[in-house]
Amino acid sequence: MAEETLFEVLHSEIINYVLQNGESRNKDGKDEDLSTIEYIGFSTGYRLIERLTKEMPRFKDELDTMKFICTDFWSAVYKKQIDNLRTNHQGIYVLQDNAFRFLTKISNGKQYLEAAPRYVSFTCGIIRGCLANLNIFCLVTAEVQNMPSCKFHIQVQRT
Amino acid sequence: MAVCVGIIGKDNSPKFFTCLNPAEELNFQYKVLSALDVVEEKLNCGSKGATDLRELYLGMLYTLETHKIYGYVTNTKIKFIIVVDSTNMALRDNEIRSMFRKIHSEYADIVCNPFYIPGEPICSKSFTGSIKNIMTGTV
Amino acid sequence: MRSSVSYILSSSTSEPNMSHPDYEQYSHDHAALLVLVRHIGNQLKPKIFMKFYDRISKINSVKITDSTGIVRNILIRYVKEHPVENNDWGDFQTHRRLLGLVSLGKYDSQQELNEICRVHESFKVKYNSTLFDSRCILFGPTKESESPADDSPSSGSSGDSENNTDYVIEKFTTPSNFKTRALFYDVSSPCVDLESQLNEFINSLFWVLESKRLERSREKLERVSLLLAPFEKKDFVGLDMESRNNKKRCTGRMTKHLGDLCLQAGLLCESLAYYSQAAEILKSVNDWLWLGAAYEGLSAASALVLYPEMQRNISLHRNASLQEGSPRKSSQTPPATGIVIKKVVANALAPEEMSRRYREAIIHYSKYQNAGIVETEASFKAARIAVEQNHALQAASFLQNVVYINLTLSEQEKIQRFETLADLYTQIGFVRKAAFCLRLAATRYVSPQNPAPNWARCYGLMLQSLSGHHLTLDPVEMREADQGWPALQIQLIQELVVAARRTGHSALATRHMTFLLQTMWQHLSSTEQKELAMQLQSLSAQCEGSPVPLVLDSGLVMPPANLTDIPVCASFALKDLQPHLRPRRIECVKQETGPFLFTPIHFGGGSLDRRSKKANAKMDFLWVKNEVCEVQLKLTNPLPFELKVSNMRLLTAGVVFESVPETIVLPPDIPTSLTLSGWARENGELELSGYSTHALGVKSNCRLRHMRSPATFPPHYKVEVVPSLPLLEVSTSLPRSATFSNFHDDSTVTSASTALYHGESTQCTVTLKNVGQVPIEFFEVEMNSVLDPALQEQIFSWDKEEVENLLPIAPGHEGSLVLRLHSSANFLAPNVAVSPTIPQDVSSGLFSSMSASIPGGSLPSRINSSFRSSNSGQSSLAGGLAALFHQHPGTSVVEGQLKLRYSGADGIAADYCRSCSVFFMLEMLPSLHVTNWDVLPAEVNSQFYLVLDIANLTNQEMELQYTPSKTMLIEGQESCRVPIPVDRCPLSKLCDLYHELDDNTKNDVDINKICSGHITQLVDLRWHLLGTGSRGVAPLNGITLTSRMLDIVRMSPLDWEVSLNGDMVRTQEEVSCEAGDCLELKMSIVNSLEKTLRQLTLSVQFYQDYENGSLNYRMDTRLAVAGSTKKILSVLEPHSKANHECNVIFFTPGQYKMDIQCCAPDSQSVARVNPLLSTGHTWRFTPTILIQVN
Repeated sequence: MAEETLFEVLHSEIINYVLQNGESRNKDGKDEDLSTIEYIGFSTGYRLIERLTKEMPRFKDELDTMKFICTDFWSAVYKKQIDNLRTNHQGIYVLQDNAFRFLTKISNGKQYLEAAPRYVSFTCGIIRGCLANLNIFCLVTAEVQNMPSCKFHIQVQRT
Repeated sequence: MAVCVGIIGKDNSPKFFTCLNPAEELNFQYKVLSALDVVEEKLNCGSKGATDLRELYLGMLYTLETHKIYGYVTNTKIKFIIVVDSTNMALRDNEIRSMFRKIHSEYADIVCNPFYIPGEPICSKSFTGSIKNIMTGTV
Repeated sequence: MRSSVSYILSSSTSEPNMSHPDYEQYSHDHAALLVLVRHIGNQLKPKIFMKFYDRISKINSVKITDSTGIVRNILIRYVKEHPVENNDWGDFQTHRRLLGLVSLGKYDSQQELNEICRVHESFKVKYNSTLFDSRCILFGPTKESESPADDSPSSGSSGDSENNTDYVIEKFTTPSNFKTRALFYDVSSPCVDLESQLNEFINSLFWVLESKRLERSREKLERVSLLLAPFEKKDFVGLDMESRNNKKRCTGRMTKHLGDLCLQAGLLCESLAYYSQAAEILKSVNDWLWLGAAYEGLSAASALVLYPEMQRNISLHRNASLQEGSPRKSSQTPPATGIVIKKVVANALAPEEMSRRYREAIIHYSKYQNAGIVETEASFKAARIAVEQNHALQAASFLQNVVYINLTLSEQEKIQRFETLADLYTQIGFVRKAAFCLRLAATRYVSPQNPAPNWARCYGLMLQSLSGHHLTLDPVEMREADQGWPALQIQLIQELVVAARRTGHSALATRHMTFLLQTMWQHLSSTEQKELAMQLQSLSAQCEGSPVPLVLDSGLVMPPANLTDIPVCASFALKDLQPHLRPRRIECVKQETGPFLFTPIHFGGGSLDRRSKKANAKMDFLWVKNEVCEVQLKLTNPLPFELKVSNMRLLTAGVVFESVPETIVLPPDIPTSLTLSGWARENGELELSGYSTHALGVKSNCRLRHMRSPATFPPHYKVEVVPSLPLLEVSTSLPRSATFSNFHDDSTVTSASTALYHGESTQCTVTLKNVGQVPIEFFEVEMNSVLDPALQEQIFSWDKEEVENLLPIAPGHEGSLVLRLHSSANFLAPNVAVSPTIPQDVSSGLFSSMSASIPGGSLPSRINSSFRSSNSGQSSLAGGLAALFHQHPGTSVVEGQLKLRYSGADGIAADYCRSCSVFFMLEMLPSLHVTNWDVLPAEVNSQFYLVLDIANLTNQEMELQYTPSKTMLIEGQESCRVPIPVDRCPLSKLCDLYHELDDNTKNDVDINKICSGHITQLVDLRWHLLGTGSRGVAPLNGITLTSRMLDIVRMSPLDWEVSLNGDMVRTQEEVSCEAGDCLELKMSIVNSLEKTLRQLTLSVQFYQDYENGSLNYRMDTRLAVAGSTKKILSVLEPHSKANHECNVIFFTPGQYKMDIQCCAPDSQSVARVNPLLSTGHTWRFTPTILIQVN
């Protein structure tokens, strides 16, 4: 249990750190610069996936890979599985987590909705990094409507 | 005992290469390079629906008069190649498979090393040592 | 795949061996009739032979209706060579028998014709055992003499050969012993009946074959003799042929043989039946070799059923580019029948079966050492079927097997084997493996075992193997491409270099070596780098490398290779012109040279700056047409030896640019700076994309975008070139200054310095020479300094008209400008009491540029330092200045910058000019100093005395002229007092003030100012230093006066008239009288102002001056005054006079003084009509009247 808390606390500290650093650099910018956090996630995911897929059989296809992300991967990182996976079979996948780990500790109302992007960008990066290393290049965006619930949109870029 | 181990990146260029006899490295490089053709072909076949290829271990890629070449491809399309002397009868498929697993573990570790940038050639000494140990069967 | 029991069944090596493998075989060739097409004699050009060969080869399938009416599809295979030994294997596989011969020859004479016929016959003899029929195509001499009318019918109607022979027969006939059907043609004619002739020929072959087949099939299977492969003959010597086993063997082999014949005769179904039957039989008797052949036949027949269209591409050889697309699908044979058969045919194998059978066949063959070639060929055939089936791995395994087969082959055959392997590997997409084989083939061409090394072929194959090693020949592409296997790539390129050199193509060798160094640099060890660089040097000594594409004989274009990183370029900086050469906008009013324009913000910090630097491809400065433009490079030699780089020029685009070649010798690993220069010959935008070099014997165009340097460059830099501008060379008549300190403007071209005593003046001639090529038609002069403009004008001045008259200055001509310098100073010691009222113009500026060379050293160092650091801040200046004023004036330095702006010709049109400046340093030495001053009434009322204490601050004797007629000598460092009679300040100068109505204090100051100005104007102090002969003036600008002094200095607004006893009192005149006498005192005042004065009090007072500083006003006991001593004048109109009279009697003798004064009332009591009077001011009759009472 301790290491889970540690993960959460470290995560929020990293976000604070990055945002503070960013603030000093661009004071005029209205949008917070979350790309650093996203990149941290990307790098983490890229390295992490090597270990997590070590014992996995080869993925059949893209959908198979997404299923892995929803189940084994999500369990490994967030100790729970994705609650809902939807796809249009044309390269768009929507992963819904009804109680996203980094949002559960935040008050549920609309109060902190604006701050939500900070707490999902790391995960977006992780997903993108994992898939990139699995040779699926994609855009990952997140959508938060009701606080602890979060939807990750994965848009695969076909070349 | 394997005589040569190669790790080949996504871009099919060598990221790590070692063999017991350094003088032969260039020859082995030619052999391993040629083996990539077979690896690619096997992976292509795999996508056609052959279920037996879901294993990361690809088995023997091809044999030469003097050597046997085995392949293993991770989910992240990193290729591991082991070259074994043809006269070596001690190494059976299972032993080779377990060697590959060990190499994969080592690789997963080096990827998590903050000083290693994925996609760059690996030049860590401890990694080289571990691989040598795996090759010689001392672990 | 190979059998582990290899060679056990046949051990002897002396057996006849099929030593000439045919790697090109397809399984379909089992069904083909083998026809040799020979080129005879030298007359026929190989090219024409090839043309006809290709034409003949197209007839590879002929439909023949057999006696039962069934259409047979007969395949024909044409070859150019056929080793006669291979015929021996005809029993084993009938398709190996040569059945037909077609020879082609050209003759010009009967003799040549005879020779051709002889050779043809000899070939017939050679292949006698198997040959069914032959044709000889003969090309007669070109009939130039014949008229076209004769020619065309003969060639056009050459429908049958008789016609032709008829025609030629007159001249040439085949020898009588020539039994072959000869076909006569003209080389240039279309030979329309060639195809039908060959068809007929094929027909004849078929019928012979068919008859043989029928003959064989009618034989009783029990009686047939044992068919043998050539090497088997010994094995069966002495064996009991009658044994059951051997009988079966005979039967089996014959069945298989029949299968072969049927296959060739176009009877697929029959052949399949025979083959499967044969396989059964042969298997039962363990006749492995023949079982293999049966399996192979079975597969071949099945392949023909399944893939009737599979065939070799006719133009496949050495023409890789044509091979693209689907080589095997060039359908000529109508597949309809094939498809029909496919469904019906019994015994035909399924696709997977086919490969399995082939595999078995190969394993069986492998048991016989002498069947190596059969095995090899079978492997190739199997691989081709696998290719057709799109089964790469299977094909690869068959091909892999080929390598294992141990054959004694000639080098040429080994090479062919590898080439064929490479070709097939390429077909299945195994590019790396193909490249490997190509490289092996290439090395075989030049191996020591090869009796005839062929470096050109070796080189060609090496080139082909590049792509498989992830190499392209374009260094630019290489850099962008993914990495390959550097170790292998390096070896391959090195081999390529050797091959190119041995081929004798040293330009290519140089190119490849350049490529190697350029693309593989970072993968080479430092020793390799060194060695390869040396090699390149020696290669390029034979043929210099240059950055142009090389076109090979094969048509391949070798892109240029440039050594962009030898030497390494660490920086590429375009240099702005010298400040005084920089073009500037003419209308630019804003001064860029002010010291306060520097803001650290422009230099911003951190990442922002770095980012902007990268994108800064467009220079923010300008270059000038026809003037030297420079780029500074920082180069490092990465090699461990000295590197000479010559002919370095800038690579440009845009406007025409002429670059100066430079040569530099770079020591190892020490960054060296180099400046490349040139001239832009046009105005407009210039693009600099890099530079060219000549290093290690290779000319390179090093473009910035291709460099792998640590620095990242934009693809090119851009700079604007403006039209030519004139160029001024400026000199002055004064010596240059040693330093120029305070001005940071670096457009200063020269300087002038001089030292002047305060008050001294001098002239400086500034000579302007136009050394440019354009006349100067625009010229502006401006003086810049930190001084107050007014003061600056005092110190530096010039004649504006003179400047205008200078223009134009043609190229090579001179003009001059006279600048007057004056050492302006404050000669007055500060009057402590009035120092706050020092006029602004004196306190500003002058000392701000003063360096701290104040003599005496009495100045505290605190002031010194604060002064220096604050020479731009007015606020802190005040302190320093105030302190300074208490000192003697010291030496000060004034700096000024004479700024010249000029332009001409197109430059003016383009609105550009140049700006340069001359720095002036004027050291101002103290001359004299008025340490104190006072005013005294003069003897006449219209004048006063200005008394000055003048200190000579120089060390020389000074002659001071203080009035036009009076001079005085002052010793160095001495001081003396001079009285100067000065006219009092007339009321006319002051009258304005009397009209002023408000602000008293200001008036006070204004009066002071006017009076001070008055004095300055009238007092003309001139000094002359006797030692140096320097002359100068000492204006008393800014002299301050107390209000007491003011009264003396200015004329009183009241004119006094005083008389005693009727005598007018004159100044300086002593009045004497006796005690007890009554003196009649009359006085009158006249208002000389234009204004009415009110409430004046006129009063008389007597007192005694004890001359010890005390005055006694208590005169009651000493004198008595009859009449009023005071009179109030309520109004005094302008120019009106008021009188007053009184009498005085002195009781005791003594000296008395009489003070007559007129008082204006206090401001409170009177309406503020006149500010001057409202101050309660008092005017006195001066001087006081002295009365000596006896």
